[in-house]
Amino acid sequence: MANEPFNIVSTYRRLLAEDEDLTMPVAAIEALIQGLANTPASTVSETLDLVSKLTAQLKQSIPNSISLSAGTDLFQQYLISNLQRPSDRGDFDQIRAHLVQNGKLFVERAKAARETIAGFGRHFIRDGDVVLTNGGSRVVGSLLRSAAESSNNRGSIRFKVIYVISPNKTAMEDESTANIAALRERDIPVATIPSTAVAYCIGQVTQCFVGAEGVVENGGIVSRMGTYQIGMLAKAAGKPFYVVSESHKFVRLYPINQQDLGIEQDVVDFRTAKGSVKDDEGAERSERDEGVADMEGKEGAGGKAAICEPHEAVDYTPPHLISGIITESGVLLPSAVSEELIKIWF
Amino acid sequence: MPAATVGQTPSLSTFVKSLKTNSIESSIELLASLLKRRQIKNSRQCALATAQLLLRVVAAERIKDPQKLIDRIRDVGRRLVAAQPREMAVGNIVRRILGVVREVIESQAGDDGSGSSAPSTPTSPAHRQSKRPMISHSFSSFTPLSHSAAMPYDMHPRPGTPMDSSASTVDGMADLAAPRRPGLASSASYASTAPQNASLLSFLEHPLGRSPAGTPPSRNSPRMTPVQSSTELNKEKIDIKAEVIDGIKELLDELEVVDTQIAESALDHIHSNETILTTTSSQTVQKFLSTAARKRKFTVIHAEAYPNDHEITHATILNGGKKSSGEDEEADERWKPLTALGITVILIPDTAVFALMSRINKVILAPHTVLANGSLLAAAGASTIALAAQAHHVPVVVLSGVYKLSPVYPFDTQELIEYGDPGKVVPFEEGDFMSKIDVQNPLYDFVDAELVSLYVTNLGGCAPSFLYRIVADHYRVEDTDLSAKTG
Amino acid sequence: MSTVAPEVTAPSAEDQKISPAELKKRAKAEKQARRAAQKDQKPEDEAQSAEPQSAAATAPGVNGEMKAHETPASALQQQQPKAEKPQKAQPPKLSKQGSQEAEPHHKRTGSQAQQMPLRRRPSQTGPPTKVAPKKESKQVELFSHLYTQPRRHTIEGVSKDVHPAVLALGFQISSYEICGSSARCVAMLLAFEEAIQDYTTPAGASLARHLTAHYLSPQIEFLKSCRSISESMGNAIRWLKKLIVEIDPSTPEQEAKDELCERIEVFIRERITITDQAIAASASNQIKNGSVVLTYAKSSIVEKTILEAHAKGTKFRVIVVDSRPLFEGKQLATSLMHAGLEIEYLPFSAISHAVKQATVVLLGAHSMLSNGRLQSRIGTASVAMQAAKRDIPVIVCCESVKFSGKVALDSIVLNEIAPAEELLLPTRSTPSKPAPKDGDEEAEAKPKALSDWKEIPRLQLLNLMYDVTPAEYIRMVICEYGSLPPSSVPVVHRLANEGM
Repeated sequence: MANEPFNIVSTYRRLLAEDEDLTMPVAAIEALIQGLANTPASTVSETLDLVSKLTAQLKQSIPNSISLSAGTDLFQQYLISNLQRPSDRGDFDQIRAHLVQNGKLFVERAKAARETIAGFGRHFIRDGDVVLTNGGSRVVGSLLRSAAESSNNRGSIRFKVIYVISPNKTAMEDESTANIAALRERDIPVATIPSTAVAYCIGQVTQCFVGAEGVVENGGIVSRMGTYQIGMLAKAAGKPFYVVSESHKFVRLYPINQQDLGIEQDVVDFRTAKGSVKDDEGAERSERDEGVADMEGKEGAGGKAAICEPHEAVDYTPPHLISGIITESGVLLPSAVSEELIKIWF
Repeated sequence: MPAATVGQTPSLSTFVKSLKTNSIESSIELLASLLKRRQIKNSRQCALATAQLLLRVVAAERIKDPQKLIDRIRDVGRRLVAAQPREMAVGNIVRRILGVVREVIESQAGDDGSGSSAPSTPTSPAHRQSKRPMISHSFSSFTPLSHSAAMPYDMHPRPGTPMDSSASTVDGMADLAAPRRPGLASSASYASTAPQNASLLSFLEHPLGRSPAGTPPSRNSPRMTPVQSSTELNKEKIDIKAEVIDGIKELLDELEVVDTQIAESALDHIHSNETILTTTSSQTVQKFLSTAARKRKFTVIHAEAYPNDHEITHATILNGGKKSSGEDEEADERWKPLTALGITVILIPDTAVFALMSRINKVILAPHTVLANGSLLAAAGASTIALAAQAHHVPVVVLSGVYKLSPVYPFDTQELIEYGDPGKVVPFEEGDFMSKIDVQNPLYDFVDAELVSLYVTNLGGCAPSFLYRIVADHYRVEDTDLSAKTG
Repeated sequence: MSTVAPEVTAPSAEDQKISPAELKKRAKAEKQARRAAQKDQKPEDEAQSAEPQSAAATAPGVNGEMKAHETPASALQQQQPKAEKPQKAQPPKLSKQGSQEAEPHHKRTGSQAQQMPLRRRPSQTGPPTKVAPKKESKQVELFSHLYTQPRRHTIEGVSKDVHPAVLALGFQISSYEICGSSARCVAMLLAFEEAIQDYTTPAGASLARHLTAHYLSPQIEFLKSCRSISESMGNAIRWLKKLIVEIDPSTPEQEAKDELCERIEVFIRERITITDQAIAASASNQIKNGSVVLTYAKSSIVEKTILEAHAKGTKFRVIVVDSRPLFEGKQLATSLMHAGLEIEYLPFSAISHAVKQATVVLLGAHSMLSNGRLQSRIGTASVAMQAAKRDIPVIVCCESVKFSGKVALDSIVLNEIAPAEELLLPTRSTPSKPAPKDGDEEAEAKPKALSDWKEIPRLQLLNLMYDVTPAEYIRMVICEYGSLPPSSVPVVHRLANEGM
């Protein structure tokens, strides 16, 4: 019942590569559905077993599994709640068939959510605003684009954008480049600054929008490295700091600090002339990290997941820095996130 | 109600009186103009007037189709809100009443319907539901806030939204063709019906089970056709009317007792020998303090709220609760001044707030409106008081009836601020000054949620971060945007 | 006391025939006088015991001299208990016990009587009717240390030593006709100049010792009784006393007086007039084209700064925030209006709206305290707080003469209480509104008006003059030594006020 010819990891990667608009949680769900389609499971428990195996496999091989775990968890929970009702035995095949057949539809819905969020854009952006944003978040990009378009329609609303771009040339930066180009095309003045210049600029900013890889249980977010400091600077300057995220990115994770994300990131790398200090403390260090992961109970058995690439590194922004989370169903206060997640799982 | 003198300045009482004689149309016009001219301005009075008017509207309406009633109320509400868009209490009451109507309709429909939706009906769906009650549609409870909060006034960003109101009343006819999984589709009450995409799982829901526009899944069983349901509803129209009227009366009662209810928790918040700072002449705060004063001794420092409210503030401090002339229907709502209850009251100009804040234990404020994210609008100067309190780590307690809670999200706080008569700042006699200098008199201040430590409502105390939930409990998503065109 | 008296005559008699022993004695006396003068300063500083009598208690030597000089010993003995009394009476008064009944001629009663007309209650003009409300103190307990005696508005009971110029000034100050720390300081120095010119050293006394203790002190005490003196006045008085003490005793009297007056002129010019120009020039550079300058109440130096920037041709807008009860901002707005500036005038309640537009906040000072905090017109702290929260630079313009060696954490220890009656609403300002209301209320019951506040038990009115703005709200202090961070205030204070 395990892996067979179907490879969840490659499917996941392929899906993401094929459609650059796809978010990680949705790709994960999509991959799981394909896995389900490829595997003839006949009982509920077999299906659930399969799904959790695939999930574990996927999480293990992807360095930063936070975002995709939002999708897998959601999917698992959906299956559990729908398959495990006593009288619904007959529905099992139906549900399965439904899922398999409609995989594409889910993806479309997830994308529609982004458009819905983008529709909110114009209410957040007012005349004369200076918006600060970072990274290549697609949903932030579409929100700004929508605001730009609506501002053109309304004529009077003019706003400017400051894009914080990462110093190293990466795929992610390409994304922000696309966003920037799209905005400039729509006659919106965009400035790009390195992340080191955020504090310098924050005074003239009216509000910040950031994307998120995952919205965690306490209403905080896990997002591209650098988001946390933007949040802190925005807070210090008293500027609203909005997170833009589809609600399927809500993830059942409760980090208590930056080290508690359950993923290994090689961000702080002490070096001497002899090389990285970590090499000496390596054993000790990985032990400690594993401990954290175990407590979290997220990582399966097996070895550690691969270390994140520097450009994929994330940080955790605590909820008190967040003014609101813009989802497809409206603006949530960080305090409302917990309620939503509680309701899914209990 | 003591006899009002003829030619009195228009006020809530004259309006309520006129309601009995005037035609509905002219009453609506009258209230709209009273609101426009700010002749009724305190938020509670606006709420009372709106509720009274709508009571009259509902009573006069011949209800053939409940949807018509909803449309009618929305229409009246729209006019009132348009007359004074910054007076949130009006819109809040309209939404509450719409909620009442919807609830009545739904419970009627539920009773008449196949029974599949009534939680109490011992059918198998309900049974299943009790086992797994939380799956999908109960998420809606988060949606109302967030969703509604996202849409002030004229806004309609989501393509599916216009469907919501129609869907909720016409009971999702679009769904009928779909093969539904009965258990999941029914939800605890129709009240919690979510708009599409409401839940985290929603995008995994049966795609075919939903209309393309994302109409919320309804409680309908396939057996129940819309025709049936509407005929059944028609049969119940008289009851609907009576129940809606009862509901509005309950709301009126709530408005009457709201201050008393808030005051009930006074002893939970005020201890002996405290020094409490407050401002303006809020009846809610005064009642709260006098309730505590019956048991405990403390000191009140009262900032006078110059230039808009200082006279009435002085009057409140000196004479207690005695409303000025026009509002005599509230004449029974008198209370002694705090000084008569043995409380030392120190009247200060607003300027002294910062100087004294270091010696104050608690700040008690009454808002004009509370917004969905926990921030609030209050009399000008409140922001300074709240900031000074924060600078000195003094807790700020906000006393607010639920009727002041608005589902509006403050996208632009400046938009919500009302400006008053500059003649209160500089007398008009000083013509030269007035003509050459731009004199402004903002009436309200925006106070951010993070400056508030605690809200005390008639339902009890809660943190500002939890207000979203109370908003969600009281307003229907469909009604958030009153100006939206209905289905 | 009796031991002091001989000493008074001693120096003047011995002035002629100076022996080493005599010199020593004189030095001792001088030292004593200086110490007395220093002691004298303290009450000034704390704005505490403004009564001349209480000064006697703190500086017995000097005062003894004075009394001996003008009254027989028997009078002195009468005086003494009187001087003691207010101090003893103070505590019970604070503890709500109103000892005034027992002491009908205390100044407090006196001035209440004269404040009655203000309150327009002819039925209660005399002290006798006041017995009933006296049962309870109307003083806010927290500030009981600040209630000394009410401000003097009449000539009644004023020592005959007070010079007419000072007398006139005192009333101008107590009625806010002369208001503002610098203005009061300049006016005081000018009055002192006049007074000094009219001074003649009594036979057997030296100007250096007699002038301060016997002639200036009553003037100063009188001014204090009109209104607590400001930090700048205190600094100026300290400077003047030091100057007088340092006068060579051999200088002929007229020459010494001329010298003093000239030095006072120089002081006014150097420490205030020219300084103001320098500060205005420097601060006006902070106003740029397109700036929106927010200011609160009225500071003469801020006014100069704004006018200076306007004269330079800078295009900017001014927001004046004002407050009850003094409405000083209105004067500022009016004067700026006449200069042709674009002005917005907002009540205090609107600060949060004012700071939204502002790009810079200019504030005047009553005093800059040594811990970098700003003591200024009550309400300033709130304005600075709102501005600081929005990251708008708050700039204080302040002459170094207003810098103080004192420190304060809050606005409670160091402050001045203005008469609560100032808070009563002028019936004129709101003629239309309350009229119908009053009529109606009177029909129902007898509603109390704020002017009846003394008759309402447990109701207190508090009218503070100043508040203390935390240093973290202040971006910059501009004084004649340049622009400094608030933390450098003590440096400048030592340089300017102590090192001279």
